[in-house]
Amino acid sequence: MTTEFENAEKEMSRLVEASLKKYGLKPNVLFARLSDITKAASSGLITWSRKNSVWPSLFGLACCAMELMDFGSARIDAERGSYLLFRATPRQSDVMIVAGWVTKSIIPEIKRMYEQMMKPRYVVAYGECATSGGPWFESYNIIRGIDQVLPVDVYVAGCPPKPENLFAALLKLQKKIGGNIEG
Amino acid sequence: MGQALQGDGLTTKINVGPIHPSTHGVLRLVVELDGDEIVNVEPHIGFLHRGVEKLMETRNYMQDLPYVEKLDYVAPEAYSEAYISAVESALGVEVKERAQYLRVVLLELQRIASHLLWLGTFLNDLGHFFTVFMWAFADRDKILRLLQEHAGARMFYVNMRLGGLNRDVPPGFEEEVLSVLGDIEKRIPMYESYLEKNEIFMERTKGIGAISSHRAIELGVTGPVLRASGVNFDIRSSKSYYVYDKLNFKPQVVSSGDVFARYKVRMLEMKESIRLVREAIRHMPPGDAVGMPIRLIIPAPKNKEVRVYRETPRGELLIYMVAGQQGPYRVSFRSPSFINLAALPEIAKGAHYADLFAILGSLDLVIPDVDR
Repeated sequence: MTTEFENAEKEMSRLVEASLKKYGLKPNVLFARLSDITKAASSGLITWSRKNSVWPSLFGLACCAMELMDFGSARIDAERGSYLLFRATPRQSDVMIVAGWVTKSIIPEIKRMYEQMMKPRYVVAYGECATSGGPWFESYNIIRGIDQVLPVDVYVAGCPPKPENLFAALLKLQKKIGGNIEG
Repeated sequence: MGQALQGDGLTTKINVGPIHPSTHGVLRLVVELDGDEIVNVEPHIGFLHRGVEKLMETRNYMQDLPYVEKLDYVAPEAYSEAYISAVESALGVEVKERAQYLRVVLLELQRIASHLLWLGTFLNDLGHFFTVFMWAFADRDKILRLLQEHAGARMFYVNMRLGGLNRDVPPGFEEEVLSVLGDIEKRIPMYESYLEKNEIFMERTKGIGAISSHRAIELGVTGPVLRASGVNFDIRSSKSYYVYDKLNFKPQVVSSGDVFARYKVRMLEMKESIRLVREAIRHMPPGDAVGMPIRLIIPAPKNKEVRVYRETPRGELLIYMVAGQQGPYRVSFRSPSFINLAALPEIAKGAHYADLFAILGSLDLVIPDVDR
């Protein structure tokens, strides 16, 4: 694997230098070489930046969405953590917080939303319903937990869990992205 | 407002939702547009359907309380109270006098919290009035803290029992309520002056989505939407329950019928609720407010039918129940959100597409209550 990387690195450097020569430019520090990128990846820079920009999507299904709104409002103010920023589109977000019960008719929409998210993507099951079906576990139209459809990273218990619990869950997710917890 | 771009009779269909930040839950709208003008709106519901009414038949009376609260999670207290009073009238249980006053206090606090949540999210829908969202949620949080002190939970309280409440209020509760109400009373004029002096807010609400009082009655809309059209109808005064008639309750009515009127009615209702809570605390008699223990349930008379009307923050709620031995034989809800959603195509017709979410927000829908 490493030799492949090194070969690619040499090849890329050669190409960069050739193209610079062609246009009569001098190699400059402003041009990042592939070796720099691979070094950064190995030193954990990418992991670090992923860890510190966990953007949840604005997506609520049911009651737990009220607490999700409270999470973003004045008392907790999620965005003061400076690494959380609620986005209204899945294309810009990293974390999907599933807040509410999951019905059979909404599964295709959730799957489509999940597929629109960029990799690496994470899922937090917020509340009883998203974890296990909650009080509706006997209902014919409910699936018993979002983990039957999507891979879940963090579960939050409670009906509904307090906003503080979500903060704790996202801190746990941050640790997980950093590789401190085995997934 | 400029003229809408008129097309050449060819219409475009736009799909909104089911996952959309402004639909307050999971609602799908298919909007038919001619230029920028809405020709038709078709709501598609049922994305959160879970069969509550059927599930409730399989539980006993007190086990059903959490299910009812999860119908309308913005005002769970109002729903659990409506359900428990349906059970009370089926089983023939009297409510203690102190409990009646305390229920009024809790219901009105819940109404203020619900309207504050509406205010925050509605202004967020209008554009980016995120300041008001922060302010309103800070105020709502104070009320939730009060309710938490009594019930022990932030959102789902389950504190209603047959004939009363699960416990009396903690000592010093009344003073705390009064101080919080004093805070909120000072904040309401602040919201009003911030919004009504804001030209963007006035442009986006005045004259948008207006319905006449005659049409409002025909469509059957309820609650603040009906009272914003100048119809003086409120279950709390016309079919008074508990001590509302003793507290000189007056329905709040605004006549213009547009989005601004719906905003204004809710602001006036908050002020009226603050007054009602103060009056109720002043006249509250000492004594016992604790209801029956959960296990102690008298078997109901066979096939007794009960209808209970309540004014929830969103409008008139009807609970129809056929009583069974241990639990309800059949429960049915006529929920205000469903009725108001049914009026959306009529109200939104002819409006600009950008105003659709102002109109949708002004109806204050809770989608799990529509889908059930």
